[in-house]
Amino acid sequence: MTPTSPRPTGKRTSGNPAKQAEINLTVKQQREQKRQEKLAEYQRQLARRRRGKVVGWAVGVVGVVAIVAAIVASFVFAPPPPASYTAGGEGIEIEGVETFANETNHVEGTVDYEQTPPAGGPHNAVWLNCGIYTEPQPNEHAVHSLEHGAVWVTYDADAVSDDELNALKRKLPSSYVILSPYEGLDTPIALSAWNAQLKVDSADDERIEQFFEEYWRNQNAPEPNAACTGALDGPGKAS
Amino acid sequence: MLVAVAAAALAFAVGRFSTFGSSGPLAPANDSAEAGFARDMQVHHAQAVEMAMELYRKTDDDELRALSYDIATGQSAQRGEMFDWLVQWGLPQAGGLPMAWMSGADDGHGHGGGASAEPMTDAEMREAMGMATDDELAQLRVAEGLDADCLFTELMIRHHEGAIPMVDAVLELGSEPRVLAVAASMKVAQTAEIDAMTSVQARLGCAG
Repeated sequence: MTPTSPRPTGKRTSGNPAKQAEINLTVKQQREQKRQEKLAEYQRQLARRRRGKVVGWAVGVVGVVAIVAAIVASFVFAPPPPASYTAGGEGIEIEGVETFANETNHVEGTVDYEQTPPAGGPHNAVWLNCGIYTEPQPNEHAVHSLEHGAVWVTYDADAVSDDELNALKRKLPSSYVILSPYEGLDTPIALSAWNAQLKVDSADDERIEQFFEEYWRNQNAPEPNAACTGALDGPGKAS
Repeated sequence: MLVAVAAAALAFAVGRFSTFGSSGPLAPANDSAEAGFARDMQVHHAQAVEMAMELYRKTDDDELRALSYDIATGQSAQRGEMFDWLVQWGLPQAGGLPMAWMSGADDGHGHGGGASAEPMTDAEMREAMGMATDDELAQLRVAEGLDADCLFTELMIRHHEGAIPMVDAVLELGSEPRVLAVAASMKVAQTAEIDAMTSVQARLGCAG
């Protein structure tokens, strides 16, 4: 390599034709070129920003829609709340509810009851533990549970579908209730409390809830709040 | 003029607010039959629970095991309600002489600390209520088998019978609807239990 010659006082030179072309431009031309470059850069930025804005909006809208959908879904898909009733009756009259005046005393053996299924009367010393049963239960034990404030929900297994039985189960309180099939029932579903009874055709009947609200753990049962556990587990106890 | 109307309207509203919470009948007083019943019957029920728990622990008789479970849990629940009456009425759980509240009743048998009568001792009061003495409770604790079953039914029948005069007194002297309803159902339920225990005694062949 030869030592670089001192730069001439005029314009510098370059071996690179592009660089040389730039050098050859006038100052004015160079300024114009830079301006154009800046303008182009600015427009590129502008376009980028515009794209960013569109993307931002798209993401934002999708996000909002997703959140709204999630909120809606959280309601739509929420499991139904467990049935909840207030213990104690208010003395409300419910259409179709029959009331009775049964005796309360302990007996041995079978009892010929006034109502079918029984809604009170003489009963065995041992009460039936509350819960869900898949088989019919002995009257004399279940009636004792009614005396303690339980509601006995009985159904005709031939007249109530599985879906309907599940719908009925969802309406049951978590305690002080017996569910069992009953043979020889003259209605698809019967709800019995001490001295009160309601017969309905369908688990959708809204009087079922009304009956629980009024008669479940009613203070006018002979021994309200006595236990519905610790005694007899009948046949086919599911829970 | 406007100020006067505003003042009148405010006064009207305040007047209405002042009536809140004062409706409804007054709660029973400290010396009422209801309060006396709620206190004495809690003491009475507590002993039934004690005896029933004792027998439940050791009896071999299925019916008596169920019955003692029933009495222990049922009377505990009822005690809880009576406890809450006194809480709701703002009254102490203990107070006054036991059974004194019954002296105004026709069926009072001169029990209690009436104006002229001397106050009963604790033992006399327990006896009047049909309750077991300390000696009898001790016997029940050491008894086993058939002896325990028979002693339990004997003591519990007397105990239940002792509740009847208290129930009758509050039915006569009281007016609080829920107290009257509970007292009436207590009489029915305990009478039925007396019948049940009498038939158990016959089945077991208890003497006397």
